[in-house]
Order: sequence, then structure tokens, then C-alpha cells
Amino acid sequence: MVKGLYTAFTGMVNEQKRMDVMTNNLANSATTGYKKEAMVAQAFDEKLAIKIKDTSHWHNMPEKIGSISLGAKVGETYTNWDQGAFQVTDKDSDVALGGRGFFAIEFTNKAGETSIKYTRDGAFTVDVDGYLRTSDGDYVLNSDGALSSQYGDGYRVQIDPVLKYTIASDGTIYQNNEEVDTIGVIDIDNYDYINKYGENLYDLIPGGNIVESEAIVEQGMLEASNVNVVDEMVSMITIARAYEAGQKMIQTEDSTLEKTVNTIGRV
Amino acid sequence: MVRSLWSAASGMKGQQTQVDTIANNLANVNTTAYKTQSAQFKTLLYQTLEATSTNANGDSKPTSAQVGLGTRVASLNANFAQGNQIATESQTAMCIVGEGFFAVQDSDETHYTRNGNFTWAINEQGNKVLTTAEGYQVLDQAGNIIAIPNTAGDLNFAVDPETGATSYKNAQGQVVQTGQRIALYQFTNRVGLDKIGENLYDESAASGEPLSEWNTQGVTRSQIFQNYLEGSNVNVADEMVNLIIAQRAYEMNSKAITTSDTMLEQANNLKR
Repeated sequence: MVKGLYTAFTGMVNEQKRMDVMTNNLANSATTGYKKEAMVAQAFDEKLAIKIKDTSHWHNMPEKIGSISLGAKVGETYTNWDQGAFQVTDKDSDVALGGRGFFAIEFTNKAGETSIKYTRDGAFTVDVDGYLRTSDGDYVLNSDGALSSQYGDGYRVQIDPVLKYTIASDGTIYQNNEEVDTIGVIDIDNYDYINKYGENLYDLIPGGNIVESEAIVEQGMLEASNVNVVDEMVSMITIARAYEAGQKMIQTEDSTLEKTVNTIGRV
Repeated sequence: MVRSLWSAASGMKGQQTQVDTIANNLANVNTTAYKTQSAQFKTLLYQTLEATSTNANGDSKPTSAQVGLGTRVASLNANFAQGNQIATESQTAMCIVGEGFFAVQDSDETHYTRNGNFTWAINEQGNKVLTTAEGYQVLDQAGNIIAIPNTAGDLNFAVDPETGATSYKNAQGQVVQTGQRIALYQFTNRVGLDKIGENLYDESAASGEPLSEWNTQGVTRSQIFQNYLEGSNVNVADEMVNLIIAQRAYEMNSKAITTSDTMLEQANNLKR
């Protein structure tokens, strides 16, 4: 009986976390390059239930009565990498990726530590020195930097800030019909090795490898969030109802328990 | 639960900024040379739900199960796309086609603008001075104010579209070159200009120094079209669509708050 209480409880905790993940999708329905996430629940390992010390039975031995699961836990948060829609911005320094791939960013945190992070948010600007930078001021790496995982001078995308430029679909930047630099676009062989950092950035964790990307770079566009609000609304209702059911379950278990304690067990 | 309450609140706050931005764009739909602004969103930091995660088959995954904490507005970007050229009767109306900015002076400070809705003012010497509607004086390439004698005919002021050279006709009907050329400047990163209102911009560290169009190598020079004004580049249809999206997103985030609250209430009511 108490076991049932806990099972229902783990379900409620799960729904709560599912709600957290879903709410984050809704909050990011307007975030450039955002990929929606979903939580996958995972049943606890099944336990073998055994009836013990049944005195009515002649040999008085424990007896197997089958397996039982004691609830569920968070399995994984799954990211849906589906392509987001292209939004036309007409801004020369805005780029969107079509297909699998990431831009590589030389990210500096508040403590001044630098590392490489990856993003699909191509809302860049050209600074006064001609460096391509994110809206938070981090440098965008060129193809040398992105593929070799090195950063610093020479690995940042730099153009002549005065001249007009066009960005080709492979990321090559042309000024006066001459190739000046290339925006680095890479892919990761196994998306299981991508950790989310926030700020539209992803980390690559050991085990995952950088590979060449076949993504198409589109100038003057941004990739919209791939959150489908209708889906999210439906899952929100599902979550709320599942949570409610869990709550009803607990109350039912509790009233059964109450009967046991107060009605049957009256002395 | 409290996590989802805050995430949804961050979404509502972001959409509020979005609506503010859209409202400002719509309010400036008839402002000369106004440039549309749009909000850029970013995810907030991620938190780990479960350090060791497993996939649907129960196999362990290298990454942890994470949940994001909402969103924030990262920047408000101006879209500097060219506005329409609107014909006017005024000789002193000027429309820039290209990426240039006029330089205008207010006593000693220089500001930049694309609003070419100029007019004549009479200075202490009795000359006609080219100024903005607010009285800021338009500068020439030497950094001087543009002045012509007040005897010059009103309808005979002319600006060369390519060079910015100004001329007027004197009482005898002869064309007199003033020798003054209207200055146009460009910025490396014009998105970084400081907006100070009244259609004026100031240079900032992010925008870089003003680059003079007439003697900077490689700059694509703009043209000045006299008798025209640059319209606002706000696209009302786009803004309306964005407004609907923002309103719905706001609504959905508020629904998420209500739902989280209901769930929290149910948790509280478990103990009767």
C-alpha cells in the first residue's frame, strides 16, 4: 500500500519535470535557432516481489509472486533537431543554417575563461575591426578554427569592415569578388555528445567528434525556433491531467490506508 | 514546479519587450527614415535534472538530462534596409539612397541622421542656413554649416545627387556653385549607433568612427535625391503578424503559469 503511494509520487515528480521542460520550450518559442526538448521518462528497474513468511503454508518458504515496477524517473531530455523555419531579416550579417551543422563560437565567460561552443543562432554583427561577432560579443570562428578547435587571432572570421560583402552557401565571404574568409560550419558525429550550455550555445563533450558539415549557409536570414506551440499546448494538457491522475491515485491510496488504520484496526 | 513558473515568467517578460518593440515600430510607421527594430532572444542557462541519463532502451547516455530555465532578450537590432522614396514639394527635402548618414550639428555636438527633411533658417549674418526641422545645422564635407545668401531664390537650390555639391541661382538667374558639398558618413557597424531620439544617432564604440564617403577607400557612395524623403521601413503587415505571434506566445506562457499553479495547488491539497 505504501509502495503504491511512492509509485504514484514518482509519477507526479516526473510530470512536474516534464512540465519544466515543456515550459522552457514555450518560453523559447521566439528564440533564434532554438530546438525543442522533451523529457523521456524511464521506469525504474523491475523488482521481483516475494511473499515471505506465509505461515498458512506448510513449508513456510518465500514465494515469488511476479515482478513489479516501483515507479519512473527521468530517463533523458531529448532534443528535437528538426530544421526551424527561415525568417528573412535582410541584414547582411545574419546567417541561418539549413541542414545539420553548427557555427563555432569563441566563447568567453564572465570569469574571462575562453572555450569553444557551438550554436545555430546566426544573429551576428560585424564589429569596427571587421570581426564577425555574436549578439553577446563572442567571436565567430572561421573554418580553420572550427575544424581544428583552435581560437584566437587568425581563427576568427574577419573581413574588411568598410567593404560590402556577400556570404556564399558554403560560408565563404566575398568582398570585391575576392574570397576573404570563411564562416566555419561543422557537424558533430553523434548528437548524444552535445550538452546544452544556455545562451543558445552547446558544448561538445568528450566522445563526440567534429565532422565536416554539409549545411547550407543562408545570408540575410535567421533560423526560427522549431517549437510547435500546438504540440506544446497539447502536451501541457496531457501533463496537467497525468499529474492530476497521480494526485487522485495518492488520495485513493491514502483513503484505503485510512480505512485500514481507522476502521479495520479499531481497538 | 517553481522552475517552470519562472521559465514561463521569463517568456512573458520577453514577449512583453517584443510587443513594446512592435508598438514602437507601428508608432513610427510614418516617421521619416525610421528603421524597424526587432528583439533577439536567447535561452537562459541549463540545469541538470539527472546526472546519468538513459535513452528509451535504458542504455546510458553520455550527456545528462537537462532543463533550460527560460529565455531573455539578448539585443534589439535595427533593420537598416532602405525605406521608400517619397516625393515632396520641398526643395530642401533630401533622401539618401545607400548607407550614408547626414551629419548635423547642435552648437558643438555632431549627430547623424538619415532624416533629410531640412529647411532654411536665417542666421545672425542674415544668411539662409540649412537645418533640420529641430534646428540642427547640416554640415558640409569641411565640417561647416551650409549657408547661402538670403537673396537666393527659394526654388533654385540644387544638390548634386552624386557629389552632394550645392548650388543656387542668383538674382540674375545665374547658377552659383557654393563650393559646399553635403557630407555623408558611413559606419562600420551602424547597428551599434546610439539612438538618441528625434531621428538622430550618435557614434559609439560599437559603431566605430564615422567614415567619410567622399574620401574613404572602398566605400560604396550613397546618392542624395532632392525633393524626396526616405519613408519609414516599417512593414505593417510584418509587424501585425509579429504582434499576433507575440501575443499568442505571451498567452501561452501565461497558460503555463496557470497550469503550473494548478499542479502546485494539487500537490498542496494532497494532505487534506
